[in-house]
Amino acid sequence: MKIGVPKALLNFYYGPFWETFFEELGMEVVLSEDTNKEIIDAGVRESVPEICVPIKIFIGHVLNLLEKDVDYVFIPRMVSINEGEIFCPKFMGLPDMIRHGLEGLEDKVLTCHIKSESDDISDYSNYLSIGNTLGISKEKIKKAAKVAGEHWKKFRNYNKNGYTALESYNLVYGKGKLKGRNNRKKGIKIGLLGYVYNVYDSFVNMDILNKLKELNVEFITFDMIDEDELRNNIDDMDKVLFWTFSNKLLGAGYKFFRDMEVDGVIHITAFGCGPDSFLGKLLEIESDETQIPFMTLRIDEHTGENHLQTRIEAFVDMLKRKKLKAI
Amino acid sequence: MVKAYVGIDVGSVSTNIVALDENYEVLFNYYARTNGQPLDAIKAGLEKLKKELGNNINISGVGTTGSGRQLAGVMVGADVIKNEITAHAVATTHYVPDVRTIFEIGGQDSKIILIKDQMVIDFAMNTVCAAGTGSFLDHQAERLGVPIEKFGELALTSTNDVRIAGRCTVFAESDMIAKQQYGFSKADIIKGLCKALVRNYINNLGRGKKLEPPFVFQGGVAANVGIKAAFEEEVGHEVIVPKYHNVMGAIGVALLAKEEVEKKKGRTNFRGFNSLQTDFVPSSFICTGCSNNCEVIKVEMNGTPIAMWGDRCGMWKEKVKRAI
Repeated sequence: MKIGVPKALLNFYYGPFWETFFEELGMEVVLSEDTNKEIIDAGVRESVPEICVPIKIFIGHVLNLLEKDVDYVFIPRMVSINEGEIFCPKFMGLPDMIRHGLEGLEDKVLTCHIKSESDDISDYSNYLSIGNTLGISKEKIKKAAKVAGEHWKKFRNYNKNGYTALESYNLVYGKGKLKGRNNRKKGIKIGLLGYVYNVYDSFVNMDILNKLKELNVEFITFDMIDEDELRNNIDDMDKVLFWTFSNKLLGAGYKFFRDMEVDGVIHITAFGCGPDSFLGKLLEIESDETQIPFMTLRIDEHTGENHLQTRIEAFVDMLKRKKLKAI
Repeated sequence: MVKAYVGIDVGSVSTNIVALDENYEVLFNYYARTNGQPLDAIKAGLEKLKKELGNNINISGVGTTGSGRQLAGVMVGADVIKNEITAHAVATTHYVPDVRTIFEIGGQDSKIILIKDQMVIDFAMNTVCAAGTGSFLDHQAERLGVPIEKFGELALTSTNDVRIAGRCTVFAESDMIAKQQYGFSKADIIKGLCKALVRNYINNLGRGKKLEPPFVFQGGVAANVGIKAAFEEEVGHEVIVPKYHNVMGAIGVALLAKEEVEKKKGRTNFRGFNSLQTDFVPSSFICTGCSNNCEVIKVEMNGTPIAMWGDRCGMWKEKVKRAI
């Protein structure tokens, strides 16, 4: 049986888990292609105009999988991975949105309810509904979830050792090379904040990671930092945000600003993102207080590359000239 | 022969060229409409430079900036290709060393740059909307039958306050038509428009930023005394318009070119005035290598491709680099 897994949204965080899980169940895993113009165009065409671009892209990936003749498309319902916190409503309603909003998917959405107390979502009870749909025993689900969980932890360990999620993905599948450590360049370093699907989807963000590399800029992302450390950095708030990944970004942002270990912070946000309207403001305030420069890069399906390039260059120039002057 | 450093700013609306001498004096200053033909505009400007000063100067460095900086850089052999923000900030701090806030309004974009101790500490650019930029003013001037050069002066003669919605050009335009029908004079409406633009600019770009004097207003639109007055009213402080306000980007990148060449110990990449005879042909094609269908820009010099960009994967860019 062919299970399609969209390479969008939280797949940049949980992909290695889900892929391994289905493989362990003896399924053929079919991944959608990397986001490209066709996928975005299809997603934009099939979604309501007001919705944010990451969801439009996800829809494009689902359509891409349909073309590949899969039996099911896996669309989890992400509910919570931390007590008292939830996901953006679009994540919680995603399977329903796809099932009822797109033609030809009524019987093809394979979903499950993911509720967990930590980032580790390997508790088998999350996946029993998949067993029911596919006619697979509880024991098999239990075993597959365990193997997948271990695989995912390896992936996360690479990630937390300073590799990007994309590099970590390759490493955990035995591709890619380990890089020499401690080769801290004398250049500048920035904190790159954004949800995994904005930071690691090189199409929608116009390949910002490579643009930064070309400018000799080192960067650190939230997923490279240990979950507990992210949490510690927002401990002093009277009330945290409702959304777990927004809290992670906030924790990372606070760390970047307060530890003074970066020269500047860039926040990549999708146009119209509700949670980011809170997050962005909180980061702005922190930037004012710590005097570490902060820039928001807003992306949507119309983003012009020139504009983005100019902004990134100008920001990096500013940091470089500032550093030069300080020495 | 004196050493000269040339800065070229190729914007969407205008192409500006300056030449500075060793002591940063402006020897040459050229401002012309791009008219959608950046290469021709650059050629015309450089030819004028050659004609006026060609025998007296030795071009020791060239820099390009503006949205056409890549193309211009390839064509002239630039020593430095820099974004507009950096170029503008460098020029302004040269003329007004203690500047804190730069308002820059150009043809299709506007930006605000905050400076402290001569360093850019923050900036914002308009994103997709051209409301409140030079293009919009051009359009309205034409509609009202007022030459753009007279636009600002006319605004200053108004004694009435007319409120025009500045959020969006479409609304601003319908609002202006309504106010015309009520019988307000052209001067009143133009003043209302100037104020609306400034309000919109400050709301969009200055949001959440602390704007401190000295203020400098530059870019093509800074020639408009009506907008300058509206800025002064809005910030409650004098706003400086530098002498070379409309070529500040070009001056900035000329300064950067000088810096760069000095770093390289005096060698410039400038192709020389003779390169103007060379045939530069930019073209574009849709690459079908993958489903991204990138629009790739190709520049050929005498039939040989010398630069390509626009490909997301970098395949074409690399190919040309290796070939050279």
